Amino acid sequence: MAILECKELVKSYGKAAALDGVNLTVESGHIVGLLGPNGSGKTTLIKLANGLLTPTSGEILVDGKKPGKETHSVVSYLPERTCVPLWMSTRKLLDFYQDFYADFRRERAEEMLQHLNIRMDQTIKQMSKGTREKVQLIMVMSRAAKLYLLDEPIGGVDPATRDYILNTIINNYDPEAAVIISTHLIADVEQVLDEIIFINQGQIVLQSSVDQIREEKGMSVDALFREVFKC
Amino acid sequence: MLRKLLKHEFRATARVMGPLFLVILVLALGANLSIRFMLDADSFIPNLLGGLLMMAFVIGMTGLIIMSIVLMVNRFRTNLMGDEGYVMFTLPASSHQLVWSKIIVSTVWFIATGIVECAALLICAADLDLIQEIFSSDFFFRVSQVIQELVQEYGLNLPVMALELIVLCLVGCAVLCLEFYAAMAVGHSFANHKMALSVVFFFGFQFVMQLAGGLILNSNGLWESFYYLDGMESFHQMMGISIVISLVTGVIYYFITSTMLKKRLNLQ
Amino acid sequence: MKWQFSNDAPIYSQLIEQVTVGIVSGAFPPGERLPSVRDLAVEAGVNPNTMQRALTELERDGLVYSQRTAGRFVTEDRDMIGAAKQNLAESQIRNFLTAMVRLGYDKEEIVALVRQENVGEELRNGDFGM
Repeated sequence: MAILECKELVKSYGKAAALDGVNLTVESGHIVGLLGPNGSGKTTLIKLANGLLTPTSGEILVDGKKPGKETHSVVSYLPERTCVPLWMSTRKLLDFYQDFYADFRRERAEEMLQHLNIRMDQTIKQMSKGTREKVQLIMVMSRAAKLYLLDEPIGGVDPATRDYILNTIINNYDPEAAVIISTHLIADVEQVLDEIIFINQGQIVLQSSVDQIREEKGMSVDALFREVFKC
Repeated sequence: MLRKLLKHEFRATARVMGPLFLVILVLALGANLSIRFMLDADSFIPNLLGGLLMMAFVIGMTGLIIMSIVLMVNRFRTNLMGDEGYVMFTLPASSHQLVWSKIIVSTVWFIATGIVECAALLICAADLDLIQEIFSSDFFFRVSQVIQELVQEYGLNLPVMALELIVLCLVGCAVLCLEFYAAMAVGHSFANHKMALSVVFFFGFQFVMQLAGGLILNSNGLWESFYYLDGMESFHQMMGISIVISLVTGVIYYFITSTMLKKRLNLQ
Repeated sequence: MKWQFSNDAPIYSQLIEQVTVGIVSGAFPPGERLPSVRDLAVEAGVNPNTMQRALTELERDGLVYSQRTAGRFVTEDRDMIGAAKQNLAESQIRNFLTAMVRLGYDKEEIVALVRQENVGEELRNGDFGM
């Protein structure tokens, strides 16, 4: 079933179009890479799917509905930056997610936090940048959502953290759900994806399966990306 | 959902307001001691200490009021317009619920601040002898007598007056919040200088609202009509009009705020 | 078991090959239960769907079989494992020969070179370069 659908989706800021007529369907049961250079429209697309922006024209549907209150309860979103309230302790953050999301699996989150030796009374403020990213990812992946939207989850973290993040995504992957990972660091995520979407200057350039690309072109997605987006 | 939003909003604000209230009450106690023992003492050190305590109390009292407004502004700015907005606006809640949770909690803190300020004044002025004197005399009886006389003389309707005051106070608090929210919601829809533009819009809105209010009131001679009413009637009329004006202002600001949040949200 | 992927072939076919290597080398002994798809995917750091696809393929070839509730098991048919091993060996040799021919050697020269190479020494050190 299509969990995310865009029809002739346009989003412009003033005269500049961040998304320019995007048609796109993402089915449940896939881990999809939303790949494109900086400023290609990845974040805009993800924000639109979260209802943080409204389309200039066209339509975006999440689980068949316009983004809003209802879709928020089936979408689990990891923004580009840490944005959970810094003053909160780990425990308060767990309370927060548990209160607002019926699909939040607290035991799973606690287990993962314990595994990282994160104390319950530690505040987000006291944590290092890498730990904050991990804690936020744990909250996001501990939900049993239908669609996970992860905006640059591995941008600017060290290789060990990157591995942890990717493992957490695989480990919590639910065959009924869809995961969309936006990134420009393709070599790092390629193995984790089964489908890719290339986006450039607000337009979809290619949507394909990873192994199809490797089979047909005899090259990795990363290599193809470098070819397509050669400067 | 609104209940959950309120719960977490209270959690987030209580950690600021709670300690402040405590500090004010302690300062009031200090002021009380200062008045009774230090200011009139014959030596310099207690005099100085008493003066300082009094000063701290006055600063604290003013500071508390300012802080309750700053907190109201800041919660909206950081929790909705800042990075935390990514979390808040993707909750399974509507933007109406988000705005209302902020308004309600801020209003509750304004009222609590008022109560604490009164309590602090009472503590500051409290004197055991005086209290004893009040309770042993017919003070309360005489106060009630005066009120009864006033009621008879001017035909006061106390319950209605109280109700009018309470409604005006609640609406006033909500409108105060919304004035700031609308300005910030508009200011933050721009790419740059979000806070500076918010300030500009705040004063802009104030100017427009006052201009519009003045024009409407003068044009149909509402103010003049008061002169021909007797005391009580004009009071009710005034209260009624103030409430209506506040409500209209509030609705306009609310409309601006919620439209901006829905259509022009621009989190960085 | 170490998982490594090259950039020029589909990931699922590389997974098939590496699980097969695991089976013929005894890392996954005959008749033993394989880890779950999720666990294998996490271990290899790959997409669970891709791992699933590779295992399904292996199942079709008969190297693994699944029991409805208990999970997936390595075949107990040692002949089949032997044949798989043979297959892998042949493809390794083909690759090797292709590379040598490209360097300009003919068959006799290659055989002589292999003989010359101290294979026994490397075997004792367990260094297969794999």
